[in-house]
Amino acid sequence: MSKDRFGPFLLVAILVTGVVGLSDLVQAQSLPADVAARIDQLLVAESNNTAQGIPVPVVDDETFLRRVFMDLVGEPPTTEDVIAFSLDGTVEKRSSLVRQLLADVSYGRNWARYWRDVIMYRRSDERALLSVRALESYLTDAFNNNTSWDKLTTEFITARGNIRENGKTALIMAQLGRPEETVAEVSRIFLGIQIQCAQCHDHPTDRWTREQFHELVAFFPRVAVRPKRDDGMLNFEVVASDSPIENRSRSTNNRYRGTPEHRMPDLENPEARGEIMKPVFFLTGDEVPVGSLDADRRSQLADWITDSTNPWFARAFVNRIWAELVGEGFYDPVDDLGPGRKCSSPKTLDYLAAAFRERGHDIKWLFATILSTDAYQRASRRRRNVEELPFQANCAQPLRADQLYSSLQTVLEIPESNATSGRQRSSRFSPRNAFNSIFGFDPSIRREDVAGTIPQALMMMNSPRINQYATAENGRMLGRLLREVTDDRQAITELYLRVLSRQPTDKEVNSCLKYRRDLRDRGEAFEDILWALINSAEFLHRK
Amino acid sequence: MLEQQVPQRQVDVSFDRRGRLQRRDFLRTAGAAGLALPGIGWMNQLSGQAQELRKRNQACILLWMQGGPSQFETFSPQPGTSSGGDTKAIATSQPGIQIAEHLPRTAELMEHLCVIRSMQSREGSHPRATHLMQTGFLPTASVKYPTLGAHAAQQLGDPTAELPDFVSIGRRRGNSGGGFLGVEYDPFAISNPEKTPDNTQLTTSQSRYRRRLGLLDELQSGYEASGGEQEVANQRKLYNKSSRMILSKDMVAFDIQQESSQMRESYGDSAFGKGCLLARRLVETGVSFVQVSLGNWDTHQDNFNRSKALCEQLDQPFAQLIRDLEQRGMLDKTLILWMGEFGRTPTINSQGGRGHFPKAFNVALAGGGVQGGQVIGKTTAGGKDVADRRVKVNDLLRTVCHGLEIDADQENMSAAGRPIRVVDEGEVVQEVFG
Repeated sequence: MSKDRFGPFLLVAILVTGVVGLSDLVQAQSLPADVAARIDQLLVAESNNTAQGIPVPVVDDETFLRRVFMDLVGEPPTTEDVIAFSLDGTVEKRSSLVRQLLADVSYGRNWARYWRDVIMYRRSDERALLSVRALESYLTDAFNNNTSWDKLTTEFITARGNIRENGKTALIMAQLGRPEETVAEVSRIFLGIQIQCAQCHDHPTDRWTREQFHELVAFFPRVAVRPKRDDGMLNFEVVASDSPIENRSRSTNNRYRGTPEHRMPDLENPEARGEIMKPVFFLTGDEVPVGSLDADRRSQLADWITDSTNPWFARAFVNRIWAELVGEGFYDPVDDLGPGRKCSSPKTLDYLAAAFRERGHDIKWLFATILSTDAYQRASRRRRNVEELPFQANCAQPLRADQLYSSLQTVLEIPESNATSGRQRSSRFSPRNAFNSIFGFDPSIRREDVAGTIPQALMMMNSPRINQYATAENGRMLGRLLREVTDDRQAITELYLRVLSRQPTDKEVNSCLKYRRDLRDRGEAFEDILWALINSAEFLHRK
Repeated sequence: MLEQQVPQRQVDVSFDRRGRLQRRDFLRTAGAAGLALPGIGWMNQLSGQAQELRKRNQACILLWMQGGPSQFETFSPQPGTSSGGDTKAIATSQPGIQIAEHLPRTAELMEHLCVIRSMQSREGSHPRATHLMQTGFLPTASVKYPTLGAHAAQQLGDPTAELPDFVSIGRRRGNSGGGFLGVEYDPFAISNPEKTPDNTQLTTSQSRYRRRLGLLDELQSGYEASGGEQEVANQRKLYNKSSRMILSKDMVAFDIQQESSQMRESYGDSAFGKGCLLARRLVETGVSFVQVSLGNWDTHQDNFNRSKALCEQLDQPFAQLIRDLEQRGMLDKTLILWMGEFGRTPTINSQGGRGHFPKAFNVALAGGGVQGGQVIGKTTAGGKDVADRRVKVNDLLRTVCHGLEIDADQENMSAAGRPIRVVDEGEVVQEVFG
């Protein structure tokens, strides 16, 4: 197999030839494979000045297969997938696998769950959880239909309506419509700019001022999140509150009603009403007049944010997706692109972001492109130290809660239970959600900062629910496997293929065989092996 | 005190969380705590160090009154006023101090209690006010603030302990916990004090469990050698810690059935009572911070009957907890903090209920060096506003930190790289400690 298309010798050749200008490249090439090849060249060129470091080779098929499955559809390949892929002798098999998985409905669901977490882990109100189901289903459809990122962004920013039915409202609902929090999230998620640091004072290191922050807030004062009762169920709707009456009695910080204009609090005199702020977009200075309708303010802001002349928009998205796939972003954390932050390979990021923009913010194209790079396809190594070159290897990622739960389901054949009856209608009480509440993490934080917790370890080791599916009893996966495969060595291979999507090494087979021989009971021995495999770091990560 | 950063060999003496003397002899940077003074015999060092270490023995039990308890029906009855309704006042063990009739047993222990009647905040929505009272900050999207319990775990916790440093008992609202301090400071949550905590019971025999762990370790070596060394090392550390916990003899602390039936009865039969007993067992075992929740104080309708019923659930366990800690000699080192997210309105609505009222409400403290038998602050007639000695949320939290010897000015780095103090501004309410 010729996996390593870029041997070290070829790299040297590229270093010598140097880099062509960016703009003509973007126009000339937009096939994922071509853009990917150019990215790999650029990465080499950009790390030129700091010398040594020989990139890790591209991974073997088995590792690649599980990695791509986890990254695109959020679940591991089945044993049949593993065997079929290894038997496939075509040159294009990796890219055709990627195409096939991007067309799978699980792709949309996987990334919907990712973005659900991006939004919901920053909620400042628990009632935001009422919108989770609608958000997930909205995003699943959007990703599966390959709705462009600029369109999705516009829909989130301009959303109105019932929060249990209309998933676009979730970004606003997550902050219960409070304008300061909402614009902080809009800026963080869509631009990669942490402008909220300027909320109280001019930021000492960033260039944004307190006034600019409050001018951004001024796009959202008329957004209200109003409670309503539907069949006795608590619900909310996001509405525009364009009535000219100013609500003066603010006994709580609820945003049941909006205000006509945003006023910047006077720090010297907090009791004063503060100065009315004009809605101005800090990156361009574009503005809408005071007195504008809510719809005009928000759609105008969405236009400016997604405009092709705004480099932050594409960069923020590309950086985030790259970080998820390659294991390290150009900027870390993924939602803080500066100004004043260091980008590890700025030319590469700019090139890919420009290409993404040229392609009309086509999300599936971006996945196909990154997945075609050698940078993505390299084997995983430990996270680099700061002085080491970036992107010499992929980085293992802890599985997100949904990926891990889906893995357990696939491996142990646990049925999905939605618990959609009665008061559990919100699906907040499903086994998946119980699992997520223990294993979930905010996907925007540095991945090396995602620490395992004791309740997680206890759940994997001792959960009666998981263990009940991991016994060798009849009717369970392991029971069936042991009945059908009477040879121990072969059963071990089957188990490895199923749990870790790879064949065991000779050493591993021997360890397992020895363990098996020491025990009288075959079922017991294999239960222990299965237990060890699903508790292994390898199972809990995507390599 | 001299600040010497000289590494020197010295006799290192410490106390574990149960106060047992431990001796180790190892190289340490003396002077970090400002204790090792050259030229002074090691006995002096020992006494200095012991003093320092004893601080670390402080614990806190937070009795969290979810929903916002009515001050008029608990610690500030106002009989004969339009605000007070039918709730009567009773005398307490402390002459001159009266509390509501629904807390007779607590009243008998007033000499241990310090009631602040002049708490004030500006937040009247449950989730935001809860977040504010527990962290000192309003919730934001960008910074996830740690709760008081997380700070206690971080600053008071014993890294060698086998049980978690922060335990929460009862239904817990919100997603607050370790915040930017990290998930290791999230509370270990127990929904039912009568049940063994989730997933802490082995599904196999202990010998088989150990065998499995050995197999796991052996099978991980392949991944460890092929790029997974960080992942395997972290996982091994976590699994060791988790195993140490569930195999620990200290786990028995979670089992209130170990107490005599007489002791269990003394805390009453309610879930809250059992939670309080469990809290005492945990603190006794060395846990730094235990939160026990009692819910449903949101009495918009039928405030009087509901508050009375809630007080019945509260009174006996609260009083017994104080008495029990005192009898065990633990009260001085255990700060009990009784509070909810706000109080309730002086006006009584048409359904006999009271609304949310952050403007003037009550918290109560006992133990942990608190000067009991006193009331701090006054309200205007009918409890409509604070009249004297206003205590804001950050004042209260700073006071609690002071009592627990948590450094309220310690700056922790938030995820966005901004240093944030444990408590922002605020002043210690010195009278609390007499």
